[in-house]
Amino acid sequence: MTEVYDVAILGAGPGGYVAALRAAQLGMRVALVEEARVGGTCLNVGCIPTKALVTATDLLARARRAAEYGVRIPEAAPDLEGMMAYQRAAVERLVGGVEQLLKEWKVTVVRGRGRLVRPDALAVADGAGGTTEVVVRHIILAPGSVMARPPIPGLDLPGVVTSTEALDVSTLPAHLIVIGGGVIGLEFACIYQALGSRVTVLEMMPNLLPGAADEAIAKRLAVVLRRRGMDIRTGATVQAVEEAEGGLRVRFTTAKGEEAVEGDRVLLATGRWPNTADLGLEEVGIRMNRRAIAVDEYLRTNVPNVWAIGDAVGGMMLAHKAMVDGRVAVENIAGQKRAVDYRSVPSAIFTSPEVAGVGLTEEQARQQGADVRVLQFPFSANPRAQILGETEGLVRIVCEAGSGRVLGVHMMGPHVTELIAEGALAVQTGATADDLAWTTHAHPTLTEAVLEAALGFQGATIHYHRKT
Amino acid sequence: MSEFLELTVDKFTFRFATDRYYHPEGVWARPEGDGRVRIGLSDFAQQSGGDVAFAEVKPVGTVVAFGEEVASIETMKTDIVVPAPVSGTVAEVNPALEMTPEVISEDPYGEGWLAVIAATDWEADRAHLMDAQAYLERVREVAEEEMRKK
Ligand SMILES: Cc1cc2nc3c(=O)[nH]c(=O)nc-3n(C[C@H](O)[C@H](O)[C@H](O)COP(=O)(O)OP(=O)(O)OC[C@H]3O[C@@H](n4cnc5c(N)ncnc54)[C@H](O)[C@@H]3O)c2cc1C
Repeated sequence: MTEVYDVAILGAGPGGYVAALRAAQLGMRVALVEEARVGGTCLNVGCIPTKALVTATDLLARARRAAEYGVRIPEAAPDLEGMMAYQRAAVERLVGGVEQLLKEWKVTVVRGRGRLVRPDALAVADGAGGTTEVVVRHIILAPGSVMARPPIPGLDLPGVVTSTEALDVSTLPAHLIVIGGGVIGLEFACIYQALGSRVTVLEMMPNLLPGAADEAIAKRLAVVLRRRGMDIRTGATVQAVEEAEGGLRVRFTTAKGEEAVEGDRVLLATGRWPNTADLGLEEVGIRMNRRAIAVDEYLRTNVPNVWAIGDAVGGMMLAHKAMVDGRVAVENIAGQKRAVDYRSVPSAIFTSPEVAGVGLTEEQARQQGADVRVLQFPFSANPRAQILGETEGLVRIVCEAGSGRVLGVHMMGPHVTELIAEGALAVQTGATADDLAWTTHAHPTLTEAVLEAALGFQGATIHYHRKT
Repeated sequence: MSEFLELTVDKFTFRFATDRYYHPEGVWARPEGDGRVRIGLSDFAQQSGGDVAFAEVKPVGTVVAFGEEVASIETMKTDIVVPAPVSGTVAEVNPALEMTPEVISEDPYGEGWLAVIAATDWEADRAHLMDAQAYLERVREVAEEEMRKK
């Protein structure tokens, strides 16, 4: 059976489904090929279920502090089954919403595993022996990413899990050992710690969140988490996971030599790889950039009419970046000429406290030779943060020393994953610290921390004093 | 044990350990006798900052010149940029600061030390520092000035 479309998209994650919807808006006939559920990693086993868990554990932590607010909550305790139901409901609602949108825009969802057979055709195996050939003018590859599996012996032992299994919090480990202090590892570390597990994090690099956060912020986060009792080892290279009495032992080396920790569950969170194996890419001659699909700034591959987006092209593996990619690729297919512009892609890390950043870090800006000035303001001096009782953290604005042009904004603290939008706008529009400082921010809100940091450019920070 | 001078201004009392030298910005320096100099915040500096939330000292191996930033301390009211009272290389950082930075407020001259610096020329730097009595007089001026402003 052969069907003809204007564009077929391989993979219905945030990259693929957004591309499908945008293409349909622009009047194209669209096929969206998906072997699992629409929404991809993000909606089904990534962003959404983790944020449901974070929301639940935040509430738990706050409820336990209720007395500080003069509110009596006699016994705040997790109901693990209830939390799983809440998590599932959040996923179902969002997946259902995407399905509904796809239906409304008349996108044909082709269920099954797709494979590129020609530059203008995908073969979709339905899993029951049947194959459909989808013939198209353009193909957008959006197969996403898979959990990286580094060559560490013992990763197949029972009790070693990846993020997908870690979403199941219906039974809690007494001691969770997290291999990898990146975004995913730390989000789960905070979730399990809040639920009562002891947590140890092993990170190979000298700092947490390598490549994902400003160094000064990452260092602060490590300190805050340690003060809360999390055991964080940086510069720790894991050698092996072994069976131990009553659980698992993780052996690692640090500058001090060989060490080991024992626990009853190990979460492997050493990053993600583009999911590009067995898609027929080599056969059709798609150029690769190691595991990633190589694309130009218009998201074209080297093969005409074949495009690639999202986690599969490497770089920042974030859902919102995949979504932007989807829009860019489709608009280019529609005849516009839009290059990707990743300057204002924020990172939002839902640890407790949260971390967020956009644009250049201080180190990156200095490496690029910019004459840099960093403006800082701590949440301990922000009235709203004080009322919330969440004063750990700060705002850092990285700007050009002369003009004050904002090159990056980095934060740790309450709700900074929301606050970072202002930083993204500043970076995208080339705003200066003075622009931020003369934008009136409502009082008393957390956003005033951005204002106060920006005021520092003129030495005019009002509610804090930096002695120099 | 260190001995102390005391100064009371209004309802505040500040202590000054007599066995060390002071940078005018409120940083003390005490030679360890082996070419190394221990440094920390004066009682006055820590009291005017308020509760310490976070202290970050330049890592071991960092070369600092007299007067250059060697640490920054975030308190509820202010960010204190701590100038090095001696040139040299950071040789030790107080390990207690990470988990319990409040030691700076609780015991500024003892457990709350910041770093040990392997000095390049302590004798030369010392000439630019004050003894406890001279620093006390300076603090008296500063504190009384503050009082008048209130
Ligand atoms: C635990 C976790 C938490 C995360 N949290 C966040 C977060 O808070 N914020 C954020 O921005 N990002 C987060 N991410 C990352 C985010 O999920 C990804 O960046 C995003 O999903 C990438 O979108 P994508 O469309 O490129 O690929 P994916 O979402 O991976 O979608 C790819 C889709 O393609 C399908 N597919 C692959 N190959 C084939 C084939 N041959 N045939 C048919 N279908 C195929 C897959 O089934 C999948 O549905 C998280 C990831 C994880 C694992």
